[in-house]
Amino acid sequence: MKANKYIFEKFFFFLLALIPLSCQDLVEKPKSFAAPSTFYNDPAQIEAVFTASMNNLWNAWSGYGWAMRSAFQNTDSQNGGNLNISQNHGSDLWAGHYRSIANINPAIGAIKEGKLEGVPQNEVDLLMGQAKFLRAFNYFMLVRIFGPLPLPTEDTEDPFNAQLERTPVAQVYGLIVSDLMEAVNKLPTSWPTAQKGRPTSDVAKGLLAKAYLTMATAPLNEVGNYQKAADLAKEIMEGERYFLVEDIYKVFSLETEFGPEMMWSFISNYEDVATSPQIWTSMRGWGDISVQTEWVNKFPEQPRKHAYFELENSEGVGFLELGRYAGVKKYEYDKEEDFDAGRSIINIPILRYADVLLIFAESENRRNGAPTPEAVEAVNKVIDRANGYVDNPEHPKLTLGMSVEEFDKAVIQERNFELCFEFDRWFDLVRKRILGEESRETVKQNFSEADYLFPIPENDLRLNPLLDQNPGY
Amino acid sequence: MLFLLSVVFALTAKGQESKVSGKVASDNDTGLPGVAILLKGTAIGTVTNMEGEYTLGVTGENQILVFSFIGYKAQEIPVNGRSVINVTLAGDLQSLNEVVVVGYGTQKRSDLTGSISSITGDEVNMLPTQRVDQALQGRAAGVMVLNTDGAPGGNTTIRIRGMNSINGGNNALIVVDGLQGGNLNSINPNDVESIEILKDASATAIYGAKGANGVILITTKLGNTEKPVISYKYDIGIASQNRKLDLMNAAEYARNINTVELTRNGDGNIPVPIFSTAEIQEFENNGGTDWQDVIYRTAITQNHQLSISGGKDKINYMVSGGYLDQEGILLNTEYKRFTLRANLKTEITKWAEFGINWAGSKEISNSALFGGSTDWPNNPIGAATRFSPTIPVYDSNGNYSRSSLFYGNPILWNPLASAAEPLIERNSLQNNFNGYLEFKPLEGLSLRITGGARISEGNDVSFLNNKTFIGLQNNGQGTTISNSNTYLQNSNILTYDKEVNKHHFNITAVAEQQYEKYVGSTINTTDFLNEATGAYDLAGATIAKVGSSTDERVINSYLGRLNYILADKYLITLSYRADGSSVFGENNKWGYFPSGSFAWRASDEAFIQNLDVFSDLKLRASWGITGNQAISPYQTLARISSGGYYPYNGSDVTDIGFFISSAANPTLKWESTTQRDIGIDIGLFDGRFTFTADYYIKTTKDLLMFRDIPTYTGLRSILDNVGSMENKGFELAIGGDPFVGAFSWNTGFNLSANRTKVLDVGPVGKLAFNAGGSGQGTNLPFMYLVEGEPFGQMIGWGYEGPWKQNEAEQAALFGQLPGDPHYTDVNKDGKINLDDQKVIGNSMPKFIFGWNNQLSYKNLDLSFQIQGDHGKDLFNVARIALEQSGGTSRRIMDRWTPDNQDSDIPALIDQKTREEANLTSTISFPTSGGNVNSRWVEDASYVRLKNITLGYNLPRSLSDRISLSTVRVYVSATNLITITNYEGYDPEVSSYTGNDAQIGTDYNNYPQSKVFNIGMNVSF
Repeated sequence: MKANKYIFEKFFFFLLALIPLSCQDLVEKPKSFAAPSTFYNDPAQIEAVFTASMNNLWNAWSGYGWAMRSAFQNTDSQNGGNLNISQNHGSDLWAGHYRSIANINPAIGAIKEGKLEGVPQNEVDLLMGQAKFLRAFNYFMLVRIFGPLPLPTEDTEDPFNAQLERTPVAQVYGLIVSDLMEAVNKLPTSWPTAQKGRPTSDVAKGLLAKAYLTMATAPLNEVGNYQKAADLAKEIMEGERYFLVEDIYKVFSLETEFGPEMMWSFISNYEDVATSPQIWTSMRGWGDISVQTEWVNKFPEQPRKHAYFELENSEGVGFLELGRYAGVKKYEYDKEEDFDAGRSIINIPILRYADVLLIFAESENRRNGAPTPEAVEAVNKVIDRANGYVDNPEHPKLTLGMSVEEFDKAVIQERNFELCFEFDRWFDLVRKRILGEESRETVKQNFSEADYLFPIPENDLRLNPLLDQNPGY
Repeated sequence: MLFLLSVVFALTAKGQESKVSGKVASDNDTGLPGVAILLKGTAIGTVTNMEGEYTLGVTGENQILVFSFIGYKAQEIPVNGRSVINVTLAGDLQSLNEVVVVGYGTQKRSDLTGSISSITGDEVNMLPTQRVDQALQGRAAGVMVLNTDGAPGGNTTIRIRGMNSINGGNNALIVVDGLQGGNLNSINPNDVESIEILKDASATAIYGAKGANGVILITTKLGNTEKPVISYKYDIGIASQNRKLDLMNAAEYARNINTVELTRNGDGNIPVPIFSTAEIQEFENNGGTDWQDVIYRTAITQNHQLSISGGKDKINYMVSGGYLDQEGILLNTEYKRFTLRANLKTEITKWAEFGINWAGSKEISNSALFGGSTDWPNNPIGAATRFSPTIPVYDSNGNYSRSSLFYGNPILWNPLASAAEPLIERNSLQNNFNGYLEFKPLEGLSLRITGGARISEGNDVSFLNNKTFIGLQNNGQGTTISNSNTYLQNSNILTYDKEVNKHHFNITAVAEQQYEKYVGSTINTTDFLNEATGAYDLAGATIAKVGSSTDERVINSYLGRLNYILADKYLITLSYRADGSSVFGENNKWGYFPSGSFAWRASDEAFIQNLDVFSDLKLRASWGITGNQAISPYQTLARISSGGYYPYNGSDVTDIGFFISSAANPTLKWESTTQRDIGIDIGLFDGRFTFTADYYIKTTKDLLMFRDIPTYTGLRSILDNVGSMENKGFELAIGGDPFVGAFSWNTGFNLSANRTKVLDVGPVGKLAFNAGGSGQGTNLPFMYLVEGEPFGQMIGWGYEGPWKQNEAEQAALFGQLPGDPHYTDVNKDGKINLDDQKVIGNSMPKFIFGWNNQLSYKNLDLSFQIQGDHGKDLFNVARIALEQSGGTSRRIMDRWTPDNQDSDIPALIDQKTREEANLTSTISFPTSGGNVNSRWVEDASYVRLKNITLGYNLPRSLSDRISLSTVRVYVSATNLITITNYEGYDPEVSSYTGNDAQIGTDYNNYPQSKVFNIGMNVSF
């Protein structure tokens, strides 16, 4: 019957319609990113971790690209600080360093577990050397800024949920020292030109020497470390792979960015520019980071003063007359068209040879209880260059006849003059406990012992009750 | 089986047949086309023609003809052996028999148990707007539409009954003809038949995982007249700047700069004025540069629409096309849109129907650099208000002038260069396809199988040359982005409708699957050798960074709904939906969403009818749970991402870095919102007065939030379900037809008040968001979500105006002088620091309202809409730079002096006076955060005459002569009058729309404009 035929067709279609009800799988399979469990099995991937770890620390307008103006503005050489250190001061550096460490730890873990199958041992060692070096660098900066620290390593279980306590400073240095010693052994004495930005074993020695020197001074005051610092610095000097640049005006220039004096730096290029060059000069730009007037007026008259600081504008008018501040000429070596366009490719050194000489002078003097000829020679190399290789009564060389305290003070002052605006002065003020006395009158009233450590960031304190705040905050 | 046979037999039986014909007319004697005439109890029927005439073959005896038409009261007329029956239909103001689209089906309005607002396509078309989202503003209670960005093709933010989520997205679900998702922007308003807005749980729960923010259902048109209707619409609009800020002219500015310079007398310095008297006189004569005039222009918009529709035999169709060409009031901004649509519906057999809708659109736009913090030297809108009026547009060499190093802000970029030089072009092509097959194998049973796809492709090019700030830094910066989004949906809907005596059941069961895929790639290039070709020849760039990514998401769903109506008076709806989505953690892939609602049609009760007062009285109550799953795919997985570039090797290129970007969270699941609603619908005076009120409480829990973790873990946060939010509020809609007849007036007023409260934001107790950008001293989080407090709190320091002359002692305690800004010392400890922060404002309005009116007299019609909101604050970041001591705002001229102590602008105190006072400051604001205070918080309540339109319909007698059936011409104005105390460009703007907690700052977003339109509609 006609009617029946239609009914059959109706139900046939009905059944047909139920077929598309096949269900899709709900499990996600991402295609655009890797999972940590499948990563870290190739040298290039591990090197990518190192790259990202430095990227966390150095960027235009953030990290160490801005820290001089924010976290470290309270040095005597710099304008703008008033020793009012409030909550969360330097919290961006805490975050940046720990992000680097959180990425380096799994890389170290993966290398230890043998995930790099089939890679020759010397290559594996190179990678481990760099990893340990970078981790030690991050912890070294952190421990000097914040004191006792939570200390995640590759052995920490469930790192994102672990509630860690603050490890005492001596133990933190224990890890730093062991990491750096491994780095010294595994890093090469030099890298091929294509990789000149990477740290060498001398850089690891230099950082370790600095670490020993810091351990010998406040807060640990373990004077036995002066010997170790002096020995390592001497090794670098005897290795003769690094030298002082002769012409003081060329110490900071495009040609000398990677040696012979610069050992390791925060690096910029046209693809990854530094913070705008206009922050270093208030006469031609915004002057966010400028030289404190009282301090620069007390700076001895010598070629170094004119090489490192911008004291007058292009028409020869002095900064005081203009009602502005002296600029930091060290970092004004960009080409003129780059400066006008607001892009900068300067590097800021983390370690250079002059620093090694001064570390040697200080630790040798202290170890011996009096200056030695090698110590005097080392520091005088720096002073001589600063004076343009002539005798300068305003800034005489140091002599053997000085007492240990006099010599020590003079070396610290030389560090102040030579290594200003290189993230060193703050740490010298802290480890020698001279922050109060070196600050100028109007700022001194705000000084307190608590200023030697930055506060632990509020966020972390709130979320981990095992962390206690530094005194005074 | 036997039952089926007899039904089929009845369908095909041929009995005695006679013809009845006649004319159906409305009150004023015009024939009504499209009126449905049905032989009651059968499927025999017909539809009137263009003149309202019909002919119907009638069989059997004692037959009754049922005449029905939307908007008119149906009539049942017995044939009684007549062969001519003429009928006059009376308007049905109540439209209770109107069919309303609900999720996965339709219902009569009188049978609704949920809270649903409707807007007809005609109402949308009355406005000269080209966008459906803008047309919704002020038209429905509970629906807040914010024009956060006035750029052509720009975005609106639509919120239904407040904000539920922080990271899950608060956008309502848009459903067009059953296809979910999509963007209101690219729909041609002319194609819209009706819009239904589903607000409460019982209406939205049927959409389960996507329904928590409300649902906007759009139905597009189909023709139904035998003779095709061709209609053409043309509109031309002229837009101009709605408001100019009150800034100083060049002479006033120069004098102020000199005054400021003279205060720099500290340290023995002797200041010299920057502008000489002669220069100032020159400015008096030539006026300097009015930068606001330089970058804004009068913009023209043209809109063409053409559509053909009809329905004959078993086919209904509608084809339409549109072309929109819209210029923006800011130079170098514009938007073009082409749309084409073809809707078709056909009856294949008596028990099978097929339909297909296809809509395509192509959008091309040129945007400006605007909004947000990172662009502030670039942003032409901000720069134009701050750039010194003493500087000409071009310098003596004919190049764009630069800002001065000696006064004003040296970093600002020439506003004309920032507006005219960038090339930022967005292209998108969209294809929406929607098809269905519907079978009715048995009486009351239907199966509808739908398949839909939305495929959109985008191609963006941008290039910033050396005349722009960013372009100069990078020697040209170009970007090309291409992406494609594919969305596929298959819904299979089984419906059974059965009426037995007084019981009416309607059961719906649905099985649905959805799939979405995104593929995108980007090329970022800098350092170009040849600017002229720029981003159109990427090989000319020295540095290129490339990136690509793809993601997918999948949802499987099952749902069921039961509607039960007892005696046409007691209505119950129950529904239940289960959704499984791939974006959630492996332990929690499925979510379950029940709802129930009940309504009592009291007006059908005898005792109410006897009162003879109410034409409609309905009480409703509902409860339900809906979900929100709008987070990106792969959030539950641990991820290592690329992108940490750095020159680790020390070479001229950067090396690639990979880093851990998120940690795993396998328990991540849906946000769920529980909503309770009670409502009442009242109709009086035969439907000439209607009143609807709803009260609701929504609680959202398991909010998707980035839970802070200690930063020593290397990450800042993990996405987790923490926190909960509550929205409470009421909605009122009052409608009426005070006048009907030759002069008629239809009015509708709606008012909504919503209070959002934060119940829980995790162990931290509060969440802070940075919304003030950088460079203005507002780089400190000040938008807060605090447990127990309302959503949208602004927290900062209180500003009480300058210290008065006689308050010198108190001021000195803080190290300040009279005339210096007086901040509130909340804890009275003599210091101003982070401990003195307090609530300084709230970004959410206390209530929003809209008042819509349609008047008509003979052939003239007038409609106007007034809308606004009240009680919200805006943090006016843009004003901070204007009121610096060397700024451009005219208010500076009224700054505090001992003779003018009532001003709220602090005094200008010279350095020497300060040195001599030798005071020590106890005020310590965090670096770059000192401007987060109440001086910049303004009340942004406003009332706006949003639209007024005057139209004239050519009388039939005239239009018939030129063989057109309707001709309408109109003039219209949009944003004509705005009443507000807000000092910025527009009280509706918001610069941060990524996260609702950040709404509430004005950082130079593109302002809305005032528009005048003239247009005409003709149809054949």
